[in-house]
This record gives sequence, C-alpha cells and structure tokens, in this order.
Amino acid sequence: MTHFLKFCDRLESYICRFLLVCFVSLLFTQVVSRQIFGTSITWIEELSVFMFVWFVYFGASYAARISAHNRVSFHFRWLPAKVGVWLEAFADLIWVSFNIYFVYLAYDFIFFRMNKFWKAQTLGVELKYIYLVLPIAFALMTIRILQVNYLKLVKGVDIKDPDKIDLPLEDELNDVDGTSATNNTNNGGKA
Amino acid sequence: KNFKIAVGDGAGGTQEALGKAFIEALEKNSNKKHTATLFLNGQLGSEQDTVNNAAMGALDFSILAINNITPFSPSVGTLTLPYVILSLEDAQKVTTGPIGQQLVKNTIRDANVRIIGWAYSGFRVLSNSKKPVKSVADLDGLVVRVPKNAIMIETYKSWGINPTPMAWSETFAGLQQKVVDGQDNPYITINAMKFYEVQKYVTNLRYIFSIEPLVVSESLFQDLSKEDQQAVLEAGKAATAFSASFLKETEDRIKKELSEKGMEISDPADGEKEFIDKATSTVWPKFYESIGGKDKLNEVLTALGRETVK
Amino acid sequence: METAIVYVLFGSFLGLLLIGAPITVALGVASLITTFYLEENPVKFVQIAFTSVGSFPLMALPAFILAGALMEAAGLSRRLINVAESFAGPFTGGIAASTVVACLFFGAISGSGPATTAAVGMLMIPAMIKRNYSPGYASSLTAAAGGLGIVIPPSIPMVIFGISALGMIPPPAAVEKFGTFQSVSISKLFIAGFVPAFIMATCLLVMNYLLCRKHGYKGTSSAMDFGHIFQAIREGFWALMAPLVILGGIYSGFFTPTEAAIVAIFFTLFVGAFIYRELDWKAVSSSLETTTWLSGRVLLILFTATLFGRILVENQIPAIIADGMLSLTENVYFIWIMIIAFLLFVGMFMETLATILILVPVMLPVAYSVGIDPIHFGVVMICSLSIGFQTPPLGENLFIASGISNVSIEEISIKALPFAVVNIIAVLLIAFFPELSLWLPRLMGY
Ligand code: NA
Ligand code: NA
Repeated sequence: MTHFLKFCDRLESYICRFLLVCFVSLLFTQVVSRQIFGTSITWIEELSVFMFVWFVYFGASYAARISAHNRVSFHFRWLPAKVGVWLEAFADLIWVSFNIYFVYLAYDFIFFRMNKFWKAQTLGVELKYIYLVLPIAFALMTIRILQVNYLKLVKGVDIKDPDKIDLPLEDELNDVDGTSATNNTNNGGKA
Repeated sequence: KNFKIAVGDGAGGTQEALGKAFIEALEKNSNKKHTATLFLNGQLGSEQDTVNNAAMGALDFSILAINNITPFSPSVGTLTLPYVILSLEDAQKVTTGPIGQQLVKNTIRDANVRIIGWAYSGFRVLSNSKKPVKSVADLDGLVVRVPKNAIMIETYKSWGINPTPMAWSETFAGLQQKVVDGQDNPYITINAMKFYEVQKYVTNLRYIFSIEPLVVSESLFQDLSKEDQQAVLEAGKAATAFSASFLKETEDRIKKELSEKGMEISDPADGEKEFIDKATSTVWPKFYESIGGKDKLNEVLTALGRETVK
Repeated sequence: METAIVYVLFGSFLGLLLIGAPITVALGVASLITTFYLEENPVKFVQIAFTSVGSFPLMALPAFILAGALMEAAGLSRRLINVAESFAGPFTGGIAASTVVACLFFGAISGSGPATTAAVGMLMIPAMIKRNYSPGYASSLTAAAGGLGIVIPPSIPMVIFGISALGMIPPPAAVEKFGTFQSVSISKLFIAGFVPAFIMATCLLVMNYLLCRKHGYKGTSSAMDFGHIFQAIREGFWALMAPLVILGGIYSGFFTPTEAAIVAIFFTLFVGAFIYRELDWKAVSSSLETTTWLSGRVLLILFTATLFGRILVENQIPAIIADGMLSLTENVYFIWIMIIAFLLFVGMFMETLATILILVPVMLPVAYSVGIDPIHFGVVMICSLSIGFQTPPLGENLFIASGISNVSIEEISIKALPFAVVNIIAVLLIAFFPELSLWLPRLMGY
C-alpha cells in the first residue's frame, strides 16, 4: 500500500485524535481560567461540544473500519461457520442501506429544511455547517462497512477483534491495519 | 386526532397549566373530535429541537420559553429585552394586540411555526442567600447565576457585576454549596424548585417578564379543515386568558407562602429607576441589530404608550 | 395499537440482533421500521443524531476513557496495584485478598470493568500463580473483582446512566403517591456508588477467605513486611494522588465529573512525563486512538438508543410495561427481585453500556411508579450489570482473565460462580436497603 492509501485507511483516526486533543485542551483551559482566574470563556463550552460531536461520528466510522461495533454472536457457534459469516454480511447490507437512507435524510434536513436563522449561540456560526458531519461521517462509515466486508469475504483477511486483549505472544499476529497495537485496555505489551 | 404537545418544563408550572387549558378548550371546540397529550420535561427533545421538528411537520405542538424561539425568528427577540414589559398588562397588550399579530406573522414566515397562545410566567425576581438587595449598589459582592443567555448576562454587567452562567441542572446544588449566592426566576419556579430552602432574600426585579408561547406546526395547521383551524385558534386564545388569571392567583399565593417560610421579599428603591436606567441605556443598543433594528423596539414601546428611543 | 408497536419495535430489534447485526444497527433499523409503520416522518432522526450526542456532561465519557488509558501508559496503574499487593501478608488467601483491594484502588481511577480486570490481572494473576494458587482460581477471582471497577467511582456506566436518566421525569401519578423524587446527577451517582462498592468487595473477601481456607492457600510464612509496604507507598505516591484528585474534586463540588477527568488527564501527563518518565509519544497517541473508537462505538449506540427510547416515550410504552409489572405485584421487594433477575439475564448476553442505554427508558418509569429513588435505582442497576462481566457467554472480564492465564473460559466461569453468588447477595442487600446508597450523598450535601 502506498503511503497515501495507508493514510486514507486511517483517516478518521487522525481526524479524531486531533479533535480529541483540541477539546480536551479547551476544557482544561476553561477549568484553569475559572478556578485560577475566576472568569469563564463563554465560547469554549459550545466549541468543545461541537468538536466532540464531530469526534464521535468520525470515531464511529473508524470503529466500523476496525470492526469494533458490538454484535451478539454467541449463538453462531451452534451454526456452521459459513452461515454465521453470511448472516453477518447480510446484516451489514441492512446497515449499509440504513446509512445511505440516513445520509439522504441528513442532506435533505441540512440543505432544505433547516431554519436559515439558526446559529450557534456563542460562536455565531450557522448550525448548518456544524451538522454537515452527519452526512459526511455516515457516508464514510458506509464505505468502511463495504471495505471490511470486501477484505473479509473476498480477500479472506481475518479481521481481529479489537476488544481482545493483546498479550505479548500475539504480537506477531498483528493484522494489516495496524490497529492491534492498541485495545480497549491499552496495555498491549506492557505485561 | 390525538395531537402531541411538547412541553419544556416539568409538572406544576405555567407551561403545563397552559397546555392543560388548551387541551380542554380544544376538546370542547371540536366536540371531542380532537384532543392532545402533553409530553413534559423535554421528553420530545430540547425546546429548540421542538421548533425545528414542528417546522418540518414532525411534531404537532410545542410550549417553550420565548428565548428559544428567537434563534429561529429574530424579531421575537424584542420581547426579551430588559424592561420592555413592565407589568402583566403590558405583556398581554403586546402579545394579543397588533404587535403580537405581527410577531405571529413573522414567525410563520421565518420559522414555519404559528404562535397560537401565550403562557405568562411572571417577572424573574432575584433571590440570594446573603443580604437584602434594594439598590444597584447592593448587588456588589453577590455571585449571581444566570442561564447562558446574552441579554441577561449583559443586563447584570450593566449593573456592575459579572454573573456566572451555570446549567439549570446544577443550579440548586450550586446555591446550596454557595458556589453562587443568588439567581433569578419567576416566583412559580422558585417555589417549585424549593429554592426557599437555600435562599433568604427576594427582590422584586422586573427586568424580564417570562413569556412562553404555544406554537403549532404551520404545515399541520394548513392541513386542517377551516373549522378545525378555528377550533385550534380559539382554544389557544382561551388558554392564553386562563394563563393570565392562573399567574395572578398562584403568584399571590406563592408570595404569601414564601414569606411564611421565612423569605424576606422587598421592592427595589425608587420604583426600580436606577436598575431600569442602567439596563435600558446600555443593554438595548447592543441588541438593536439582532432584533432587526431600533424601529422594532420603538413599535413595541409606542404600543405600550412609552417614550421611544432615539 | 400500542401492543402492535411493541411487537414491531422489539420484534425487529431482536430479529436483527439474531442475524448478527451490530447492536446499534438493530436499534436504528428497528426504530426506522417502526417510524414507517406509524407513518411518521423520519427526518427528525437527523436532529436526534446531533443533540443526543452533543451534550456537555457526555464529554466525561471520552475524558475518563482517555484518563484511564494514559494512567496505564504512564505507569500510575502499576504502582497503584503494587501498593495493594504489598499488603499481602501471612494471612490465608492474603495475596488474593490484595487482588480484590487492588481492584478497588484501580477502580478509583478507572471507569471500566474490563480495564480494571486487565490492569490488575496482568500483575496479580501471575503473582498468585507464583504463590501456588491454581490458575483457574486466580483468574476467576480477578474476573469477579474486576466488576468493582464500574461500581466504585469514577464509572463510565454511571455517566451513561446519568445521561439517560437525566431527561426522564417521574410520572405525575408516582409523584402524587410518593412525593417528589430527587434529581439525577452524575456526581450524585458517583458518591452513591462508594458504599455499595465496599459491600461488594467485602462479600468477595469473605468468599475468598472461605475458599482459600478450603483449598489451603496460605499466606507467606514471614510477618507483614512494613518496609515493603512503605516502599510501595512511596513509589506509588503520585499514583495514589490520582484518585484523590478525581474523587476529591468531584465530592467537594470543585469540579464537575467531566472537569475532574480533564484534570486527571493533565495530572497524568505531567506525572508520566516529568516524574515517572515512562510516557512517550507513541503511548499517548495509542491512548488517543483507543479513546476514539471506544467512544465512537458507544456513542453511536447512544444515538440509535435515543431513537428507540423516543419511540417508546411517544407511544407511552414504558407506562404499559410498568402497569403490566404492577399488575403482577405491588411489593417493592418482588419488583426489585424481578428487575435484578432480568438485569442479570440481559447482562449475560449484552454489552453493559448498550444495556443501560436500552433499558433505562423502559425500567426507570417502572422504578418511579413503585417509589424507588432514581439514584438508588442507578446504583443497583450498575451493581447488577457489573456481575454480567463475569458471566458467560459474553463476559468481558472472563475473556481478559482467560487471555492472561490461558485457562479456558468454561473453567473460569464455573470457578467464578461462588463469587457471582455472593455478589448477587450483595446486590440484593444494596437494593433492599436504600440507605446504603443514599446516605453518603446526603451526608455530603447533595
Ligand atoms: Na471506577
Ligand atoms: Na455477561
């Protein structure tokens, strides 16, 4: 993979890490300014909430890329392995349809139905632009679902469960997308 | 049909009272053909969300504080400036007279919702736990909580103090733990929230009169038959009239109860002149642009028989 | 009409879960199908997508996840656990008891059950095995004690419960009957979880003592090593400060929970970079990445669960469920037993945060209508779901403990049964005596 494709493959992760650093720092500035200097900066709360919403939906798309969205799958062990795989793929097809419909709804809402006077209270930005994250992130998420299913069903890549804890032994099993260096407990390799 | 009415506040307030009166009148006017259900406490979304939903036809009715309509229909903002309304009579005159008609028209044009009734919640009086407040100077040294509302913040600044914007959900605890000394709200709210447990002094400020319109989705309204439209409009009028009498009765009763519970209620010195002068001279000019020009304010002032601004 | 909505909504939800759709998809698609069925306009979904997530208190969630991940990377967690380990003396089951205490310590900086199990298990399971405990016993105890991580504050499930319960009001009939209910806040929940966490820990310690006596797991032959304890505390001084900063800040009303987590992040960055010098860019970056997808995953569920809950509310379905339950019995103890049994059952299969998001709109109205305090209800719900971490088939703590010790999940879950039993007894105690949860918040003036 070229560098550019690799970058695209983790695009949401970069966006999200940037947003996370920004809003955490903004909130810290607010705490310091209030507790130490006794004044609060009025626009911080609104701006950090907007960044947080963007962070969440791009993060959801990234979670789709690394196949992290929880499913109830214990009952598949009583079915032939193939059946479980194809049922999940079918469920993903429903997911894709839902997302495409939601992108349409969001586009319609933002460009044709939203009140034109509606602005962010302290920032003064039109909320229209802030809401744009919804069609963008859900479209991106749709691409990610298709990408994962392509890798899984056509390329036969075994997408690792990101919840699974990494033990030193498993380090050599790192998969292509490189996400396995982290997991929900973030203690990979520290044992 | 059973309509859905979103209500921002909880049970026991003027919003609910208006909603109940509206439903009763609607049932009567439509010979039980139509009724409605109240969904209190923002169960159908925040007050601002309900405006959007009603505009899109995804919600039938909503009752909400007037400052949550202003973002969608800026000219309504005139009624939220300090000391524009100085009595319940003023409020009734403005909302049900020609000015009100104009606001209704503007709101249909700008926000696609129709205002069909008004709940009156009364003046936001100032309460605090520290000392009696009668003059602007008495405010010195008080930390006052306000909602995140530019007009209210500017008003306190014009009186020489920096208020603290704090979320409503944190306010009671904040007063109790003395993070803030005071706050302002209508009597009905002060009583419902049991602020008398953590506050001692009340000043009868009149800087903002709380008005809460009842709106209907314009697309829904246009889909109704002529008779049904009439039934809805008449029910709105009946509910508005009820709200005014509800306010008078409850406010008197609550004032008495609060005194019995040990709160000290006082009026500002000199008919509130100092407060009024400071607020109107510095706050009004800052918001001319957002309400669509000074003329909008002058129209209201003229209708109330008051001096216009230059 | 209403019953048909229930069938469409819950039927399509369960059907989608069964074919392996992600929980968030099952919720979203079921809501969409029901909206079509009701012939309503789904365009309001867009606004719900934005406003359900765009709330200030919710930012506590990524903040606590990030704080926990950084503390791990900065070496704070390890030192905190070392302090607990140093207390293991010449007592029967001493090191195992230290494991439970370590989970309490670690729980006071982390808001997640699996993270607690992983951090404590990494150090304590090998330590127990070294002292001749059977690997199965060591793993099952850790899996059980890891659940304490979400009962003792800070707690991510409590943040989620608080957010879901904030917008829900007691039904007027319940207020008339029982008087006003206190309002829900995340701070209040955090304080209310403190005593219940100690009750659950005590129950685990008692069961541990009994089992260790049976198995003959003795302590070290030497006496308590005070030098070792002192050294561990000295090395762990800054790590021990972390819970003080978080909890002290919240309890004193100095910070909101979100701000406390933010302060903890910068505290950890400082200690990790300048005092312990274990933190590097790579670790910070990977902490940020973990926070990203964990938050994205949960909060996407929050959006679709809000859609689902909105349909329930608009059609007044919780009231129907409440009436149904009340028609069986009005006895509050029976209601509690039904609620806890149901939560334990759901906790076997479902991820914790999703469970909270789905069930609060359904169950809290029931609780209100029998006069249960919302804070008390939240604490019992969290305690019940904390047991779900150690129960198969979906038991996150089991998976982690099994990953560390290489003991099979089946063996661990069977060996963890006695702990599940004492934990259930603890939950019943906490449910039947509301004061255990409500006394401390009241004492602190909330
Ligand atoms: Na915790
Ligand atoms: Na489970």
